[in-house]
This record gives sequence, C-alpha cells and structure tokens, in this order.
Amino acid sequence: MPSWSELEQFLVSGLALGGVYALSGVGLVVLYRATGVLYLAFGAVGALGAFLAYEMLQAAAPQWAAWIVCILFGGLVTLLYGMIFGPALAGRDPLVRAVATLGLTLILFGAMELLWPPTSGATRAISLPTDNGGFTVFGLQVTWTQVIALGSGVVLTIGTGWFLRYTKLGTAMRAMANDRVITATLGVPVRRVEAAAWFGCGILAGFAGLLLADLVQLEPATLTFLVISSLAAALIGQLRSIAVTFAAGIVIGVIHDLLTPFSALTNYRDMTPFVLAVIALLWASRHRTVVTRSREEA
Amino acid sequence: MNRHEHRRSSLAAAAVAVLAIGGVLAGCSSSSSSSSSSAAAPATSSAAAAPSSSGSAGAVSTSSCGTKAGVAATGTPIPLGSIVTDQTGTSFADIANMAQAYFNCVNANGGINGHPIKYYIEKEQTNASQIASLSKQLVQTDHVVGIVGNTSIIECSVDHSYWEGQGYYIIDSGIAPECYSTSNSAAVNMGPRYSSDGAVQYAITQHPSKIVFDQANVPGTTYIAAGPNAIAKAANVPIIDKTATPPVADANSVAIDLVSSAGKDGAVVLNFTPPDALSILSAAQKLNIEGNVKLWACSTPCNTDFLAKSLGPKWNGKIFVNAELTPPDGTNTPTMNLYKAILSQYGSAVTGGIGSFSQMGFVEAELMVKALESVTGDYTVSSVNAAIKGLKDVNTGMLCQQWTYGNYSSHLPNNMDYTTTANNGQMTLAPSGGGCTLISENDPQVKAYRAEAGTAPTDPTSTGG
Amino acid sequence: MTGVDTERSAAATVAGQRLALLRRPERPVHLLVTVVLVLFALFALPSLMSLYYTGYMTLVAIYSIVTLGLGLLVGRVGLYSLGQGAILQIGAWTAARLLFATAQPFPIVIIEAGLVTMLIGGLIALPAIRLRGLYLALITLMLAGAFTVVLATVNFPNGGGGFTGYNGQQSHIPPIRRPSFAGTDAAYYRFAVVVAVIMFILVYAHLRTRPGRAWAAIRQSEPAALAAGINITFYKLWAWGLAAFITGVAGGVLAGRDVYLYSINFTTQDSIILLAVALMGGVYSLWGAVIAALLMQLLPAFLQNLGLSYAWLYILFGIGVLQVLTTAPAGLVDQFPKDMKKLGGLIMKLVRHA
Repeated sequence: MPSWSELEQFLVSGLALGGVYALSGVGLVVLYRATGVLYLAFGAVGALGAFLAYEMLQAAAPQWAAWIVCILFGGLVTLLYGMIFGPALAGRDPLVRAVATLGLTLILFGAMELLWPPTSGATRAISLPTDNGGFTVFGLQVTWTQVIALGSGVVLTIGTGWFLRYTKLGTAMRAMANDRVITATLGVPVRRVEAAAWFGCGILAGFAGLLLADLVQLEPATLTFLVISSLAAALIGQLRSIAVTFAAGIVIGVIHDLLTPFSALTNYRDMTPFVLAVIALLWASRHRTVVTRSREEA
Repeated sequence: MNRHEHRRSSLAAAAVAVLAIGGVLAGCSSSSSSSSSSAAAPATSSAAAAPSSSGSAGAVSTSSCGTKAGVAATGTPIPLGSIVTDQTGTSFADIANMAQAYFNCVNANGGINGHPIKYYIEKEQTNASQIASLSKQLVQTDHVVGIVGNTSIIECSVDHSYWEGQGYYIIDSGIAPECYSTSNSAAVNMGPRYSSDGAVQYAITQHPSKIVFDQANVPGTTYIAAGPNAIAKAANVPIIDKTATPPVADANSVAIDLVSSAGKDGAVVLNFTPPDALSILSAAQKLNIEGNVKLWACSTPCNTDFLAKSLGPKWNGKIFVNAELTPPDGTNTPTMNLYKAILSQYGSAVTGGIGSFSQMGFVEAELMVKALESVTGDYTVSSVNAAIKGLKDVNTGMLCQQWTYGNYSSHLPNNMDYTTTANNGQMTLAPSGGGCTLISENDPQVKAYRAEAGTAPTDPTSTGG
Repeated sequence: MTGVDTERSAAATVAGQRLALLRRPERPVHLLVTVVLVLFALFALPSLMSLYYTGYMTLVAIYSIVTLGLGLLVGRVGLYSLGQGAILQIGAWTAARLLFATAQPFPIVIIEAGLVTMLIGGLIALPAIRLRGLYLALITLMLAGAFTVVLATVNFPNGGGGFTGYNGQQSHIPPIRRPSFAGTDAAYYRFAVVVAVIMFILVYAHLRTRPGRAWAAIRQSEPAALAAGINITFYKLWAWGLAAFITGVAGGVLAGRDVYLYSINFTTQDSIILLAVALMGGVYSLWGAVIAALLMQLLPAFLQNLGLSYAWLYILFGIGVLQVLTTAPAGLVDQFPKDMKKLGGLIMKLVRHA
C-alpha cells in the first residue's frame, strides 16, 4: 500500500490530467447542447491547429501569431464544417451527425499524418511561456500552463452555463438544439445562431488543442483520439450537464493517476475513462431507456 | 426532394469534392514518403561536403565510400531490400534512409564492380500480415539478393523462418528477441535487452540503492527485462520492473512513479524510443523532480544530440546513455568523418541527423558493401548471402569490436559498448567508465553467445573521443 | 421559413429510401453472377496473384465477414457498433488460445471461437440493450477502448501456459498452427474464402426468414414493430449474437492467417475505420460488405506498392463517410451502378449527337 506522501503527488498530477479531460469534455457538451451534434473532431481540429502553430514557430514567427492561427484555424474549420454539413444532415439522428464528424476526424487525422510524418529522432513539441513558471505543491512543480488548463475548464463550465441560460443567443442555441424547426418558426435567425455556435466551439477546440499539445504530446494520434477519453467525461454528464462533465473529467484524471502506484492495477489505469463511462451509462439506463432525440421514425 | 434540399445536398457533395481535390493538392505539395528509389539524391561531384555541425575536418570527400571516385555505376543493378517500422510514435525509417544514402554514395563512386545497388525500403505498421506479405514481395517480385537494414518491432519474429528457408542472412538493427536468437539474423546493435544490460551495468558502477527499470510495453518485455534482472541480481542490487504502453500519453504519472519508486539513492533506467523517453524525462524536469534520484540511465535510443539539446544543461552528467556505437561528437576518425559527410551530402531523408539510428544505417550498409565487394561472379541469393555469412573481424570504424557474422545458432556480434552523458546539448563519453566495456556475462544469453563465438578483438579504427 | 419543410422531408426521404432499398427483390441473375465470382475467386485468382496479394486477399475475405456483421447491425437493425474491432480481437484471442492448448481440428476451433465471442458479445449487449442510437454507439466505443487496454497487458497467446497462454520470456515464439489441409498461403486463402462464403450464406438465410423480417420492422419503426407483437429485445440480441458469432469466426481465421498476433497491431481506430468502410461499401446489401473489405484491406496494399503513405487512406475514408451520409446512404454498391448508368446515358447522348 503506497504511502500518503506518494499518493498526494499523484493527486496533484491527476488534477492536472483531469483538467485536460474536463476542458475537452466540457467543449464537447457545450457544442452538443448548442447544435445537437457530438463533435468528435474536437481533438483532431485542435491538433491540426497546434501543428500549424508549431510550423509557424519553427519558421520563427512571433508566438502570439502562432497561437492566434491555431485558435482561429479551429474556429474556421469547425464553422465551415457546421455550415456545410450541418444543414445537409439536419433532422437526421444525432448518431448519424456524430458519425459524420468522425468523417471529418479521419480527414484531419490523415492530413496530419501526411504533412507531419513520424520522425525517427527529432520529436516535435510546443512549449508555451507559461511552462516556465509555477508553484510547488507536495514537492511537485505545477506549471502555469496546467493551472490555465484547469482554470479554463472552470471558467468554461460556469461561463457557458450562465451564457446558455441567461443570454438571448444562448437561449436561442438551446432552443435550436432542442427543436430546430419550431425555433425557426419563432423567428430566430437559425443560420446565424448556428454559425455562432459552431464558430465559438471551434475557437474552443483550437484553444484546447494548443494547451493539450503542450501538456500531453504534439503527436497526431495521441491528440486526435484523446477525444475518446474526454468523451467518457461527457457521457458521464449524459451529454447534458456541463458541471457534471467537468467534475467527471477531474475525477477520471485523479483516479487514473492515483492508480499508478498500485502494481496490480497500474497497467490497466488507461481504462479508467472507459470503465467509468460504461458504469455511468448503465446506471443511467437502469430504469428507463436512454434516448437521444431522433426524428427518423418514418 | 424540394429544391432547398437539393441545393443543400449538392452543396454538401461539392464540399466533399473540394475536400478531395484539396487533399490531392496538399499531398502533391507535401513531401511524400517513397518506398523504393535507387538514387534519391543527385550524385554531384565527389568534392568537399558541407561542414558538419560538430565542426570536424573541413573538406571531407565522400568518394572513399566507393572504389572509383566520381564514376557513376551503370551496370545491371543489384537489388537489396529492407523492412522497417514506420508508424505513429515509432519510426525507424532513418536507419534504412541512411543505408540508402550510403548506397547512393557508392553508386556515384564506382558502384560494386560497376553495378549500382537498387535498394527497396518497405515500411510497415507493426502488422504481422503486412510484414509477411512484404517479405514475400521483396523476394518474389523484387528479386532481392540480400536483406540489410531491417529494423522492426516484430519482423524478426514473423519472418525468421521464411528467411531461413530462403537462405537469406540478414544484417539488421535488432529489436525483437529473434533478431539475436536465430541463425539467420545478425545485428549491428545490441537491441533492447543488451543495451538495457549496458545501461544497468553502468548504473551499478555508481552504487545505487536500487534500480527501477521501465520499458515500453512492446512484445517481449519479460525477455528484455530478464537481462537487466540477471545482472542486477548478480550485483546484489534490488531491481523493480515496470512497463508503460507507448505512446506515453500521461508522462507525468510515469515520471512521478519512477522517481518515488527509486528514491533518493536509486537509479532509474529507461528503455523507450526517443519520443517517449524524452517525454518522460521532460516531464520529470517540468515537475522539478529529476534531481530526486541518484542518476538516470537509458538504453541506446536516448543517444541523440537532439535529446541532449531538448533536455538542457540541468541534465549534464545526470543521465547516462548506453551507446552501442562510437559517439560521433569529438571523434575525428576517417570513418566518422565519412559518415558525417555522407549524411550531409546524401542524407536529406534522414530526419534525426547525427545519432545512433543513422550510425546503424551507415554500419549496416558498410558491411553489406564489403560483403558484395568480395563476391566474384554473379550476384545471386546464394553468392551474396555466402559472402555476408563470411564476414569476419571487420573493422567498421563505429563499433568497439570487430564485427563477425559467422555460422552460429545465435548472433550478438556487438557486445561491447560505450556510455555517454549529456554535455551542454551534446552526448559525449561519460568521464569515468564510459569507454568500451564488455556486456556482463551475468546475462545468460551473452554467456551462451561467447561460448560459441568467443570474444571478438577490439576495432582499432573506432577510437572513441 | 425555409427550415421547416426541408428538415421533416429530409428525414422522411431517408426513411423512404431505406424502405425501398431493403425491399429490393433478389434477381436470379444476381445469384448467377455471385456464383461465378465466388468460383473465380476460389480457383482462378490464386494463380493470378503474387503471394503479396494473396496475403492481402485473405485479409479481404476475413474482414468481409466482419463488415458483413457490422452491415447487418447498422443497415438491417439500426445498431451502430463502434466496437467490432474488439469483437474480432476476442475471436482471434480465443482461437489462438485453443489452437495452442488443444489439438482440435482448425474448423472446430474457429466455430468454438465464434461461439465464445457470441457469448461474450451477448453478455455485453444484455445490459446495454436499453441504450439507443448515439449512446449505444458510444458505449460500444468505450468498451472497445477498455478492451484494447486489457489486451495490451494480457497479450495474445503465444504458446505459454496458464489462462492467458502468454509467455513473456520466449526467445522463439511458436507460430499459431494452420489447418492441415490449408498450410500454404494460397491454400489458406481458399480456406478463408470458403469460410466467408459460409458466413454470408448464414446471414442471408437469416435475412430471408423470420429474423430478417423482424429486423426490417424494427429498423423502420420500433413502436410500430412493438405494436405488431415483435419482441424487440430478443431480436436485437439475436442480431448482436449473430454479428458477434461471425466476427469471432473471422477472428479465428485471422489468427491462422497472421500466425503471430500482437496486441500492438490492434487499435481503437480500427473500429472507427470499420464503420467508415462499412458505410462506404453500403450497409443495405451483402455485396457492400465485400466492397468495404476491399477498401479496408486491399487498398493499403496498392498504396504501399505505389509508395504512397497509408495516411491517404484516412483521408479517403473520411471523405467517403461524409459522402455516404450526405448524398449516398446506400454506399458504393448502390451508387456505383447508378453513376455508371448515368455515365452510360451521357455517352449515348454524345454518340447520338455526334
């Protein structure tokens, strides 16, 4: 049984990891609540933006320019996707629309593998200036970047909750995700609201991508499929509650790292997000059938 | 379907078409990875190569790679093949690319008795079906007469019976156990087990209280760990074995675990590919815990200047890397200079630059060329492979010992190594005990090999630093 | 407002198209073409292909069974599974374990592998059956992710003892044995094709009898099917079980094909790619499964030969998924003949005007 002083270090690193999961998970839920689409390309879009920023930094561009490119890229690609394929698939089952985003994921992933092929010796990395400062907790250095990741998650959770409930645009987004047709009849400028939702969430994906590239690894497969672990957090929140998603992300990260010193379980700790999500889904469905809104009953 | 729907669907279809065209254009403008080419770089004159990064002798001619300076080879090509792992997170393509560079040099300087070498590089993604198909392709379609440069996580396991049946003697950079434990594969490196042996051996000389050995969870981990465990046991140093699945996504928890398991007087020994090793080491540095153990050690993949530069000066004399080949920095022998010159002139496809991987490619190509040059008559599978098998006591200029293939049931021709340490952005020989050291016979496999093959004499042409 | 009609009618159009596709009658000429193609694949093809392509075509045969199962789930019953890759791995693992541990004949072993996989698939499906649509798909993705981690630690059997049959210390790993009558690559290819044909016949028989009709009813409208007295849970489980069985058998054949199985080989992405190619091939037709397998396993072989990176495949499949979902829900198998007809019509017009 590991000592408390060992465990407390894993608690700290677990919180940092949890911040990563929470940020992406909340991003997924926010977009789902605003557009009704589970944007599985969240990770890939952020990753590609991060690679673009990397190339700019290699070409000695100023840092702020690289970051803006990354974040804007996320926004633009997501906006484009939403504007073209959103209406084309509107009214289809959320499942179909989610699978369509898988198509986008594959395209972006393939593009990254093509343009930045695996290298033998030199690894690619992005470092942010916030990596170089921080404070010490339990003997570990916590960088400002990790604080930003965790903090952004908190801000996002509170901010979007407030935004979706209390602002006109937010209410319009919620209404649209609920029933696009009726919302349109009420005179809401559906196309514009949709565009705002997609663009906003794309910006979020780009921002998260930059942070993750710094905190995890600048590597196409890792960053693209990190979304599956974040998805676990979103599923625990049943794709509805942003606060629960955030908490779930933190819990997943903490449990994952806390399992590290237990030799019998350590090799299985990467299963943590998946196991927790499965348990949560089965628990949610124990009395009733869990459905998403589907309008394909002919 | 009313016209709005029609318009939307058409718009979607148009978007898809645009994406497709865009993809094609992007591909055409990016650097595509080619799998076979005989002359990748233009064979310019054999005059002075561009000065290398470590500022060695200025005007080094690459023409000494071949027999006739400046004469391009124009006879019937000699086909050779290789299979390398090249996938997300793990790529050994540099080794084959460097061998290609060497062959290009030879082709530009007389070839093999006037014959150019045509080198087929097949890339695989750790897929046993794919690898089995590729080896058949090389033999049956490309009609290769020799295999050199293989570097793959599982190829030796999958193909060794095939090569034995077909009569090929492979010169490779081994990873899987079968690269060392079978009759038809001889490696220029020591591979994960023996290189980890070397790292642990060096760590033991610094008297740690215990050793934590962590490696990538690829096939054969228990086999790999058996060597270091035997050596640590013989020295009465407790050893803990761990694994981490690559690519390592959560390096923080791995680093914390290693440091807390090793303790203040312990040593951490890593066996990972460069990206993952760097990930773990940088995580330790960012967490500010790298100083909480006595020392860090690493098997040969860590032996790159890139790693030393990325880690920074905090690690000077703190990380010790087992180097299976002579450290390039600070070595001024003709062979080392030739290596750097060829890398500079022909090695544009070698992404890692100066380092173990490209050195391995150089040595393998060097050995193959030596074997080919000894063939009289036709270049057939049997003649070429007989020549390969007959390589004996070759001075490669890059290894501690002379290299012999030989007719043995297992092969470990490189079983003597250096140890390097980080030194302001470069890997240089460790000040104490870093010179050529035999791998301990406490590893039973090493003992078994030396019982059959004896201990090879040292190579006088590869004096390290 | 433009939004109102179009969305409702979009959904209705898709449903209508699906109804039409599923009700398409079988024509005798199709059967004849099928038989001829199968005979060609069995007898003529091996002598025309190099061993390089024989290996890949064996994979095509194996994966056509997997995409058949997935197409059954997606097209016929409406269950999107993002975990068929994991099911395949379970089948391969079981077959490998039995082949090392027992001396049973190969065909028996793969049937046993299929049954074990069916059992495990059923056990997983039981609690999950309450989930619908997106949640069901996502839980299968989660389970596949979990299984990949387990497999990375437990590893495939390699001749060792104990339950897992994995011996990490081996320096000479024994290959998985092949059937005595199909040891060579060409013979094993034929064996794989025969197994695939049998699996296709099994599924076809299901589709033509009661289960097939029940699935069609469930796909169209669950409330209506329920009202008609169909036991939805039972038939859904039957579909899962059937798909798991045939995928398990395919896993067994894969074990014999690769003879060395490594967990590093199987990733979570594989399950996503499977869904992508199944959609592209066409989930409403049995031939779609064959096309899907060709896309997934033969195309990489061509790309490798041309020296192109495997990354192009991801891009192609991504575009394919988007295309199928927006404009051609029945996939290539339906779209290609239509496009050819249109092209033929265009050519005729040009000829007439020339």
